[in-house]
Amino acid sequence: MLRGLYTAAAGMIAQQRRHDTVTNNISNLNTPGYKQVNAVGRSFPEMLLHLTGVEGDKPRKIGAVNTGVFAEESLSVHIQGDLYSTGRSADFAIRSDLQVPGVQFDGSGKAVDENGNVVFQPQAFFTLQARDGNIRFTRNGSFTVDQEGYLVANDGSYVLGADNNPIQFPQGTSIDRLTLTGDLRFVDDLGADTGAQLLVTVIENPNRLVNEGYGKFRLNDEDAGLARPLAADDRVEVRQGHLERSNVDAAQAMVDLMSALRAYESNQRVIQFYDQSLNKAVNEVGKV
Amino acid sequence: MNSSMINAAMSMHAMQRKLDVIADNIANLNTAGYKRKTASFEELLTTLKRQDERFAQDGRKTPLGYTIGWGVRMTQVLQDMTQGAVQVTNNPYDLAIIGNALFEVVTNAAGDRAYTRSGAFRATLNEDGDIVVTTTEGYPVVVRDANGGEGPLLVPAGYSLNVDESGRVSAVSADGSDVVPLGELKLVEPARPDALLLVSDNLYVLREDADAAEALRDIQPGADSDVRLVQGSLEQSNVSLETEMTELMMVQRAYQLSARALASADTMMSLANQLRA
Repeated sequence: MLRGLYTAAAGMIAQQRRHDTVTNNISNLNTPGYKQVNAVGRSFPEMLLHLTGVEGDKPRKIGAVNTGVFAEESLSVHIQGDLYSTGRSADFAIRSDLQVPGVQFDGSGKAVDENGNVVFQPQAFFTLQARDGNIRFTRNGSFTVDQEGYLVANDGSYVLGADNNPIQFPQGTSIDRLTLTGDLRFVDDLGADTGAQLLVTVIENPNRLVNEGYGKFRLNDEDAGLARPLAADDRVEVRQGHLERSNVDAAQAMVDLMSALRAYESNQRVIQFYDQSLNKAVNEVGKV
Repeated sequence: MNSSMINAAMSMHAMQRKLDVIADNIANLNTAGYKRKTASFEELLTTLKRQDERFAQDGRKTPLGYTIGWGVRMTQVLQDMTQGAVQVTNNPYDLAIIGNALFEVVTNAAGDRAYTRSGAFRATLNEDGDIVVTTTEGYPVVVRDANGGEGPLLVPAGYSLNVDESGRVSAVSADGSDVVPLGELKLVEPARPDALLLVSDNLYVLREDADAAEALRDIQPGADSDVRLVQGSLEQSNVSLETEMTELMMVQRAYQLSARALASADTMMSLANQLRA
């Protein structure tokens, strides 16, 4: 069979994946704390072609080809989204610009040294404890205070405090009377400490986070060492009454959507051409 | 069906819900005591396509597995309880709260309570000819007398109502010579706003499973508190048309963009159908 037929089919599937990813970015244009995802493609393993059957000659090397492409990884872009004010006291937004000594990060949050080593910018996250006890990380700080006084996320996950326990406000305290200090403690309108302190976790390489959906990320067990609590000198601030906008670029998303569609179409045409070639081979070659 | 199509359809549905919330806010631009609603959004679940060890090639940045998102959903409608502007009306039955508090009203003969921010009260006459102060829907406002007993606010016939900034209510005779203390207005602060449920007529009720002592806190307005009462004024809705219009534009464009993604996904399916032309 013609090799390129399968290559083009693989191309169609890969473009479909890219299209799905861009559609999901567009869907989450207004989701607080959402991080844009890019589909990264990889070509199929190289295949070395030889010319064989030439009389009295050794097989001759023609060259290497890749016989297709697939969407290999979905990469979240963990760069800062814009903050906007909501006026709700239980909304929080993280602004982080974490630095690594001796490294200068570019706008996309990575740095490449002269040897080609890549360092990714660490990012800060709110720490949640899901109802099943697992730890999750999120940038969506749209929290509420439940009836027992716990600070919870949309799905009821507890927001963890610096003591690694869920934050619970004392009875009769309204979140509207509490202010978040620079060191992330909650103080009341008289300046008295409530004992609650927000836990912000720094992930050294945010690419190792696995997107779980619902705006939450988790770390696999082997990557647990990448998380650490926020240190005093980290360049992170948490703003109360604000949320972080999704960092999806709508114009770029539209362009990506169109290009994924057209690339899909091109692959489809290639399949049609192969089909025509096959048609000729089957029906016309040797026709009397 | 390809996942782009499901994804775009889900998010158009969510955007539609957000448009509904915005429309509600705009419709209540001039409703006294109305508190703006905001919709909170959340990404939907993602599916993780497993990849085996051979996928862990050099240059790969993420752990094994390929995640696909399925769109967005609206999780909850939250209240923005910020203060609205206070407008002077010179109607003695209009009361405005400055600060975070709610009036308490009685909604039925069994004595069930509801809470409201709207201070546009009116005078209704009972069978004895006394004036009962009620909401526009006729629910009596709760006052507390000196002994802590609670009851409706009754102003004797021929007397006018006087409320000071601490919520103390008195009835004043026409010539001003007789002042009858009537107790103080009961104001509560929602310590757990989530325990309150917005029902019709700008009224909040406690959720059935909520603990009233935990969710609401009695407060004493006045000079040494951050809550004050103003008679003859009304708190306007805290909706700002500029904010709503910009939100509307953003949602509309996001909706359009999702519709484009849906059309594009449709084109892809059509292309797949035409593979064998």
